[in-house]
Amino acid sequence: MLPALRRCRPGSVPLPALAAALGPGPFPGLCPAWCPRALPARGRKTRHDPPAKSKAARVKLPPPVDPEELLVVLERYRQHRLVLSALRAEFRAEVLQKKQEERLAAEEEEELEEHRRLMAWNEEENGRQRARREERLRKQEEEERRKKLEIAEKQARKMEAFLEEKEKEVLQLQEEAKNFITLENLEARIEECLDNPRNYNFAIDKDGRIVKRTVLT
Amino acid sequence: MPMKGRFPVRRTLQYLSQGDVVFKSSVKVMTVNYNTAGELSEGARKFVFFNIPQIQYKNPWVQIMLFRNMTPSPFLRFYLDNGEQVLVDVENKTNKEITEHVKKILGKSKEMLEKEERERKKLSHPATFGPKKYHLRECMCEIEGQVPCPAVVPLPKEMRGKYKAAMKNEA
Repeated sequence: MLPALRRCRPGSVPLPALAAALGPGPFPGLCPAWCPRALPARGRKTRHDPPAKSKAARVKLPPPVDPEELLVVLERYRQHRLVLSALRAEFRAEVLQKKQEERLAAEEEEELEEHRRLMAWNEEENGRQRARREERLRKQEEEERRKKLEIAEKQARKMEAFLEEKEKEVLQLQEEAKNFITLENLEARIEECLDNPRNYNFAIDKDGRIVKRTVLT
Repeated sequence: MPMKGRFPVRRTLQYLSQGDVVFKSSVKVMTVNYNTAGELSEGARKFVFFNIPQIQYKNPWVQIMLFRNMTPSPFLRFYLDNGEQVLVDVENKTNKEITEHVKKILGKSKEMLEKEERERKKLSHPATFGPKKYHLRECMCEIEGQVPCPAVVPLPKEMRGKYKAAMKNEA
């Protein structure tokens, strides 16, 4: 902005810097800064070409600055920008606040009410689930106990049967023991066997009839 | 591109967009505790396998966490933004029942969804023309039945400016 401001003032362009090169044209003592000839233009040469010998003594000076004006202008700009940014921040905050309010206002009482009702229903559902679960666990326990009992019973019965079996065997053995041959009745039994010869021979014919009455030799 | 996974249909957009559980804006985190074995967690497992992708697709800003084999019975827990925690017991439930339950207690109702849809529609006008990002069409030449784009099909002579100017000059 500042260079533009500079160029607007009629006497501000330094004449010695311009007069030799361009010439003010129609206004000899007074060169309006906005003059096409005063602006740098490339024209014939590229940027890599060296400047002409006639320009060897040319001294390029920066645009002159009036210090008081500079201060005044800078101060004014500072204030302007300060005010504008403050306004922008203010409006931004207002919009944000409005949005927040709208959002909060949307969550009205009835929605909260609805929410509470749904939470209560959820609690009920959980309660029912709990009841079902307890029921199930109880049933499971019952089942287990019953099974255990059954197993124990079966075991007991098996044990009993086994014992009975063994008892019977023992009795049978005892019975048979009466007929055993011991050292005492050895002689008597031998005598007995010799006295009563037993005939184990038999005859069988093709029809399967057994004949036990054979001759013992 | 081969199909990936046991049920690749879960990865399709059509399947994902069929999810109808849209959480209320107060729900922030959803946690699922379930077991990888056992009859009781069967429904929870199915829920995690089939329905959670749908839910996450519809609620991209809700954090979903899965915990396996940490508790004897499966449950869901929702953490709302006002600090409230909602516990949902899902033992012995099918995944359909679980989704229904969740939709009932914490999902947006159909009317709410429709209302939001209408609000969103109001913001943009479908009849305006402009960049594809904000409008449906950019130029009239895109519409069927209208004059096609001269970049693709040259305009007939009579519609061109140079012809009309030439005729006027002749006359």
